[in-house]
Amino acid sequence: MSADVKILDGNTFVVSDDRGDIEASLTDPTGLFSFDTRFLSKWVLTIDGQRLNPLSVDDLQYFETRFFLVPGTGTVYIDAKLSVIRQRAVGDGFHEELTILNHDENPLDVEVRVEAACDFADLFEVKDALKKKGEYYARVEDGRLVLGYERETYVRETWVSATEPCALDEGGLTFAVHVEPHSQWETDLHVAIGHDARGETSGLTKYERRAKKARPNMELGLEKWLDDAPSLDCDQDALKRTYHRSLVDLAALRFSPTMLPGHYLPAAGLPWFMTMFGRDSIFTSLQALPFTADLARTTLTALGLWQGTRRDDFRDEDPGRILHELRFGEMTAFEERPHSPYYGSVDATPLFVVLLDEYERWTGDAKLVRALEAQARAALAWVDDYADLQGNGYVAYQRRNEETGLENQCWKDSWDSISYRDGRLPGFPRATCELQGYAYDAKVRGARLARSVWKDPAFADRLEKEAADLKRRFNRDFWVEDGEYYAIAIESDGSKVDALASNNGHLLWSGIVDKSKAKAVARHLMSPAMYSGWGVRTLAEGQGRYNPIGYHVGTIWPYDNSFIAWGLRRYGFKEEAARIAAGILDAAEFFEGRLPEAFGGYARELTKYPVQYPTSCSPQAWSTGAPLLLLRTMLGLEPSGGDLIVDPALPSGIGRLELLDIPGRWGRRDAFGRGRVNVDKRPRSRSQLG
Amino acid sequence: MSDPTGQFFAGLADQHHVLPGGVSGLVRCDLKDGDQIEHWYVTIRKGDVTVSREGGEADCVLTADKVTFDAIASGQMNAMAALLRGALSAQGKIILLTALQRLFPAPPSLHDGPVAGYARRTS
Repeated sequence: MSADVKILDGNTFVVSDDRGDIEASLTDPTGLFSFDTRFLSKWVLTIDGQRLNPLSVDDLQYFETRFFLVPGTGTVYIDAKLSVIRQRAVGDGFHEELTILNHDENPLDVEVRVEAACDFADLFEVKDALKKKGEYYARVEDGRLVLGYERETYVRETWVSATEPCALDEGGLTFAVHVEPHSQWETDLHVAIGHDARGETSGLTKYERRAKKARPNMELGLEKWLDDAPSLDCDQDALKRTYHRSLVDLAALRFSPTMLPGHYLPAAGLPWFMTMFGRDSIFTSLQALPFTADLARTTLTALGLWQGTRRDDFRDEDPGRILHELRFGEMTAFEERPHSPYYGSVDATPLFVVLLDEYERWTGDAKLVRALEAQARAALAWVDDYADLQGNGYVAYQRRNEETGLENQCWKDSWDSISYRDGRLPGFPRATCELQGYAYDAKVRGARLARSVWKDPAFADRLEKEAADLKRRFNRDFWVEDGEYYAIAIESDGSKVDALASNNGHLLWSGIVDKSKAKAVARHLMSPAMYSGWGVRTLAEGQGRYNPIGYHVGTIWPYDNSFIAWGLRRYGFKEEAARIAAGILDAAEFFEGRLPEAFGGYARELTKYPVQYPTSCSPQAWSTGAPLLLLRTMLGLEPSGGDLIVDPALPSGIGRLELLDIPGRWGRRDAFGRGRVNVDKRPRSRSQLG
Repeated sequence: MSDPTGQFFAGLADQHHVLPGGVSGLVRCDLKDGDQIEHWYVTIRKGDVTVSREGGEADCVLTADKVTFDAIASGQMNAMAALLRGALSAQGKIILLTALQRLFPAPPSLHDGPVAGYARRTS
């Protein structure tokens, strides 16, 4: 099949082939999707029964694309007497302008047919290839084709219509087209979402020809979004491009939750993860804080609203727990999947408190911290009361929903991500190390908020005491003496799951690492076994399960590296942080500024370019946020009281870097830096940072 | 005859609830029982909840069959799932439904007895 073309508006998106056609099967993820449901699975254009051949595709905008086509599927001979343009804009379904151009000196009479059908598959069904339980229907009424699906009270409909006269039947639309010589014929096709998760809709698409009624969510304020962000200037064009790409992609990833219309939080990734994820939204908001605080504010508000309140085994929900993922499809609606929302994440809850504190440090918005006091306290209580599954005072996870819940509830959520050095897998519950770091940081930051905003010094004292105790125990129980690093996890019996993994970098970020141990940890992170030249591998070379293209067992994750760099800076390892920034930002250049979720862990000398790990989601929110956080770490931006501290440590590949109008409680501040950190002494064939 | 909806609303008034500080407004629940419609008014203000059978103009109106709401009010059915399924509909400020759904009881446990490690505070 030809390459996928994707356009999107909020959580509505279209994936088609490069002719603009959609021919989905249960397992083939093409179609028109909205609220996690497929609203069109077949959309095939023919002229006199013939399929068309693509000449080119123009991606006009995130929400709009244009296909240039000619009849015939032959590769040798193309009949250029006739050509076709399909211009498509997504928004409450999609709107397609179909134009047929007659290049001949004779009039043209052809039959134009658009086949339309829908399977109304839930995204989860697309992933798992499951059978439907309801009834389909198709009927022609009021000049439109209605495609529908019904299961008890659950109804979803797609309405298809055209502006030019056509014959409608249950399988599509047929036009008898006459075009004068050197002339053209046009029709508009509307594919509207007639009935969705919110009930019956207006049945209108967002766009109409020439009179665009609405602006897309994406465009909504894109200019203002870019204007409001700090401006970056430097002598490295690639870095400027990456910065611009990150801002634009972050704008595209904005998602407005139904309960907070007009407010946006970062969704996890386009297009399949255009929904609220606790962990991804929090990490991305943290990365973006020096550039925009709006994402953090909405994330905190939305996650606070949806915070768990009861013990629900199916959803792995507990009082105080922060959600993992919210979905809207049929299987969620019938409680066949737990995503209404699902709470099976163990890091989002302490990270919620971490984000709340970091947000206040940047913005001084004590009002939100007061509004979310009960939620923050409940989150801190969850860490103590519900997360200690091993009974040893550490945060651990084990799903209660054994059928459809998540087995691994930390960010490295693949089946083999947590292992011993020799490759053995530990049992459950699992207490991974970074979770203890997040819990420690949440207590320390919670104490600061308790003292400064909630005016509860006794609570602050208690949290600080607990944090100090956790740190002391952690440095004893997780430290691998013979390797001088922290075990990736411990088991219920106290066994150290002793693989060397990038989680050590998150520990630096959290502050749980004893000063006396930090040097050894930093040395490991920058060792050839972990640092490839592009970044730090998720799992060190030489470990039992190491694989340079293993999802969490050897690939390099830009998001992971941005937090590792932050951690290194926190412990004073400025040059090491600069090296990581240089490697990741150099890699970004190979992806035209858009970092993938992960790339191969091969040594930089070996491949010369970063080998992309195949994933369907791009851009991914926390990869998009990585360059932003790396700018922060390189410039050493740190709020301190009412002011912003700038302490640059830039790789020498950057001569000069200026970040102007950094927003915060200080109003706006500028940061300047010059590259002085010599990250690598190898000869260079091209301009690069490290 | 048991009335899970009545019991749920009666219980709301007696308890202290943790609701996000910024959320306030009036929710009206219209519950269809045969040809009767039962109305319940829930006021959410600064984390406090009050319940009444009468009220003014609502910011959010929930509509469901009584039998559906009984299932939600007793923890047998999830409110968000019911909304997606079309068994419950919400008009107006959806944020109030998000706040209200926090107060519905938990479903029955999938496991017998307490789960290992549950609610164990280390000393």
